[in-house]
Amino acid sequence: MEVFRIPFSAMASQCEVVLAAPDLASARALAGAASAEVLRIEHKYSRYRADSMVSRINAAAGAAAVVCDEETLALLQYADELYRSSDGLFDLSSGVLRRVWDFRLGRLPDPAALAECLNAIGWSRVQREADRIALPQAGMQLDFGGFGKEYAADRAADILRQQGLQHGYVNLAGDIRVLGPHPAGRPWQIGIQDPRQRDRLVASIPVTHGALTTSGDYERYFERDGQRYCHILDPRDGQPVRYWRSVTVLAPLAIVAGGVSTIAMLKQQAGLDYLEASGYSYLAIDQQGQIQHKICHA
Amino acid sequence: MHSTLPRNTLLAAALSLPLLSAQAEAQPENGTLSLKYLDYQDSQPGARRVRVTAPELSLMTPVGSAWSLSASHIVDSITGASPAYHTEALVPLHDQRRATDLSVTHYSELSTATIGASYSAESDYVSRGLNLAATLSTEDKNTSWNLGVNLLHDSINPGNQVVIDEHKNVVDLSLGLTQVLSSRDLAQVLLGYSHGKGYFTDPYKIFDQRPRTRNHSTLLLRWNHHIEASGGTSRLAYRYYQDSFAIRAHTLTAEYVQPLPQGWSLTPQLRLYSQSAASFYVEHDLNSDPFPTNPPDGASFYTEEQRLAAYGARTMGITLSKRWGAWSADLRAQHYEQRNQWRWGGSGSRNLAPFRARIVQLALTRQF
Repeated sequence: MEVFRIPFSAMASQCEVVLAAPDLASARALAGAASAEVLRIEHKYSRYRADSMVSRINAAAGAAAVVCDEETLALLQYADELYRSSDGLFDLSSGVLRRVWDFRLGRLPDPAALAECLNAIGWSRVQREADRIALPQAGMQLDFGGFGKEYAADRAADILRQQGLQHGYVNLAGDIRVLGPHPAGRPWQIGIQDPRQRDRLVASIPVTHGALTTSGDYERYFERDGQRYCHILDPRDGQPVRYWRSVTVLAPLAIVAGGVSTIAMLKQQAGLDYLEASGYSYLAIDQQGQIQHKICHA
Repeated sequence: MHSTLPRNTLLAAALSLPLLSAQAEAQPENGTLSLKYLDYQDSQPGARRVRVTAPELSLMTPVGSAWSLSASHIVDSITGASPAYHTEALVPLHDQRRATDLSVTHYSELSTATIGASYSAESDYVSRGLNLAATLSTEDKNTSWNLGVNLLHDSINPGNQVVIDEHKNVVDLSLGLTQVLSSRDLAQVLLGYSHGKGYFTDPYKIFDQRPRTRNHSTLLLRWNHHIEASGGTSRLAYRYYQDSFAIRAHTLTAEYVQPLPQGWSLTPQLRLYSQSAASFYVEHDLNSDPFPTNPPDGASFYTEEQRLAAYGARTMGITLSKRWGAWSADLRAQHYEQRNQWRWGGSGSRNLAPFRARIVQLALTRQF
């Protein structure tokens, strides 16, 4: 068995599957099945495709309920749990803020437009009944971006596991789900990026199973008058979070690790207590560059 | 709104997502309790022969972190009739067999060791067994070896008192290698050798006198292949058997497991079998009808048992399985047909009635 690294592009980022296989052809076949699953999820939940599940739900806002398949219902149920365990900070309907925050042009939002946007946020108002979902107000939007990549990493890993793969991991732009250790039995060393220096690692974490995800203020942001505005936005006032540069969490599933790291970012200073209470291993870097971390042996 | 420990709520919520392996990972090692019911009926044209109904209860439970305990109990109720010679003169029979197996397995990182005992009793036959088995895997778990020894001590006291307090002792040895060839292929080679000494004769047949030693060797080759396009798995197996009675047998088995939505799966099966006759098998001579064919003059060993004749057989089966939560159910139906002209590469034994059997088994299993 040899270790192969098969890169692919999905979800507008660089992804890879690292796996142990007898030869390159079987490694490519396996990685192909994994990347196909990632693309399936991207298509199904992309905001940019008019025929995606999300676009259909958003297009019917204020008008009609949309019937969802089981996978979507399960994801909506999970989103509800994220909302409740974050005291409303992880809100699937807060993606609408993207309308007023332009991270490419680096523009601050117009206060009136921002206020109007905040009116369209509110997961608690979303109506879910049996297999239907309805957004009660025209202009409301759901955005699966907050956990879609993590879910895709878990699903891709699951596809690989179904094919019998025991050694390897899926890396979707830093959201990593590990299936099992290196074929020699040792853990994979997963590097955590320095949130202020792109090519530098702040730590390297050995992982044999589970998932490692990072939420940070360096993925999409702009700076203006010495102030950093990142893409993680508080749904209550529509403002970017400021307390942490990045939060990395190790949990059994990427979708859980991603939920915990994003909620910790959103909770700002209170995020540390939340991470402690989570019981998972974490590494959090605050705005002064101070590292807080805890290794939990599950 | 409430704030709760994310470890419990988020992970629990995530487990209802379609992430199969995550569910498996999160589960602790489970025990299983299963109840099976088998209904077997064989026949030849114009006559039903033996019927067996057999409820079986089995339990496997982890004990601590490194041990497991398995136990099973089965009750076979046997009724019907069996030929006194060849496929003629059906004699009624009625018996009940109770069998119990118990074994303990120890798991370490790359190996397992099992010790077990078995006991089964019918009115005329008691069997006691002891078995030892071990498996050893390489660090990458791609290669594993298994080794087994099985000792059997049987006591035979037929109701017709043809013999009294006869015995049979058998030692079985097995050695196997299982190799993961690729992410889709798994192959296995198993070698078996068995040495038996004692009473092998069937006391209820008219002309039956068999050697007091029976040794046999087996070679089993298996290949499981996962088919990406359908998500199914094919299982192919070939088994070669030869023994000191001069029986040579070949078995080819092909199975295909097709998973279906909502926890269903369907497994069709085809098995082809062929064997040569024992060296002391006496062919059915129609000229001696309606009396049994006499063994050759001066022969020390002879048998007119259909199972020691030359024949071929085909089994067609299908298994329907359904899993829901901690439960699973399997319903298996098989049709077996044996004909002398179906022997491969040679003529089969003559003048025997075709033999058929149908087997239905229902199994219900719960993990706990």
